[in-house]
Amino acid sequence: MKSEKKKNIIATLLTIAGFLLVWQLVSMAVDNAAFLPKASVIVLEFFKTFVNPVGKYTMTMHILISLYRVGVAFILATLVGIMMGVGMGYSKLVEAILYPLFEIIRPIPPLAWIPMSILWFGLGDASKFFIIFLGSFSFITLNTYDGTKNVDRELIGAARMLGASERQVFFKVVLPSSVPYIFAGLQIAVTAGWSSVVGAEMVRSDEGVGWLIVMGMNKGNTIQIMVGMLAIGIIGFLLAQLTTLVERRLLAWNDQ
Amino acid sequence: MSDKETKVKVTNLTKKFGDLLVLDDISFDVGKGEFLCIVGPTGCGKTTFLNSITHLYEPTSGHILIDGKEVNLKEHNISYIFQENSTMPWLTVEENVRFGLDIKSIPREEATNRVSEYLKIVGLEKYKNYYPNQLSASMLQRVVIARAFVTEPDLLLMDEPYGQLDIELRFKLEDELLELQRRTGTTVIFITHNIEEAVYLGERILILTNKPTKIKSSVFVDMQHPRNIADEEFVEIRNKVTDLIKWW
Repeated sequence: MKSEKKKNIIATLLTIAGFLLVWQLVSMAVDNAAFLPKASVIVLEFFKTFVNPVGKYTMTMHILISLYRVGVAFILATLVGIMMGVGMGYSKLVEAILYPLFEIIRPIPPLAWIPMSILWFGLGDASKFFIIFLGSFSFITLNTYDGTKNVDRELIGAARMLGASERQVFFKVVLPSSVPYIFAGLQIAVTAGWSSVVGAEMVRSDEGVGWLIVMGMNKGNTIQIMVGMLAIGIIGFLLAQLTTLVERRLLAWNDQ
Repeated sequence: MSDKETKVKVTNLTKKFGDLLVLDDISFDVGKGEFLCIVGPTGCGKTTFLNSITHLYEPTSGHILIDGKEVNLKEHNISYIFQENSTMPWLTVEENVRFGLDIKSIPREEATNRVSEYLKIVGLEKYKNYYPNQLSASMLQRVVIARAFVTEPDLLLMDEPYGQLDIELRFKLEDELLELQRRTGTTVIFITHNIEEAVYLGERILILTNKPTKIKSSVFVDMQHPRNIADEEFVEIRNKVTDLIKWW
């Protein structure tokens, strides 16, 4: 088992190394830094940004600011998503009221909301929260809705037989059995929310990893754009790993 | 059962789904502490029958009284064991057994004592911190049985609880069930399509007809436990029930 794990880690590292090597070779062949900078340059620049500020801050600050925005929006999305999902999954009436509206709003991409969000929430953090919220809440809602709908009827029957009230059935059966679905939703949502950070930070800002890209674009600085992309990729990867870790800890019972 | 106090009294129980008559005017009594088996042809409405007793389905007409009162799941302590595994996957073995006690707000200390007692009886105390996905089918069914008995139910309904187990495990769990029932004096209604199982377990066997379901006959099994399935009397009763169940 252990050696298999080791093998898998080595395979992962080799893929990444291979990717960087191909990138390096192609960029050397292209030989146009503004079109495709070398992988070595981007990786080096990426590390440099942790020491040398880009704009007002170093990379650490940019990441923390973006994480703060995603964090706030993600918590809101989780609360709203779980409430909506549970409500729609559990009550036919709530489903009838909310589901069609939800399905109409869901396909509108977060980027399309930027103009309205500026109008409604101004240029500050509120509009950024709003965009990231829209980028993540539907995944949580949809998964929670699925989970609540798919509760094993046998389990509800068993609880009822043991004298459980509606309230007890809800809190002791419906909610806990939806948790794996909710977690699956949270996992997609955290990545989706983090991905929409660029869009959110296109709304006038002076900091954040999304800003790095937008500013790089405005200045025609390919290296800054790609450094920003690399930062988003790495942090997104770490966030996904973190949710998996939390999920494994909390959902030991669901581990096959 | 004539010498026993009546625990459950079913009178003129009828259940229709739309125009389909499933249960047709069924009346019978179950004595306190009796082990009653119900057999009938496949698809004859045995489960509908149990579900009507518990009011999971509202009967179309008729009455079901437990201790002289209309069935009420909040008031009466009824446990139901299904054929399918109904353990809560997110709870440990111990928490699963405790589930009904928490619902009934049994004081913590008493609940803990009762849970550990029943875990011991079904031989799962070593596995109390395991999750259902770590257990075998027979262990899961034991958890469900402990969960049912720990609430000290007035009435225990079992719907082919061992239908999915292999024969060896079934025999073992049947003996455990008899022992538990003897210790607790719980009234049991046990539904099965397995005639041998019914003769092995039951004090009395009700034989149902095909749909619309009526009671065709009632057979007493006046034999001591443990019963020997090769015993002449056993075979005789089994054959009798088999003949009664034939609808062709």
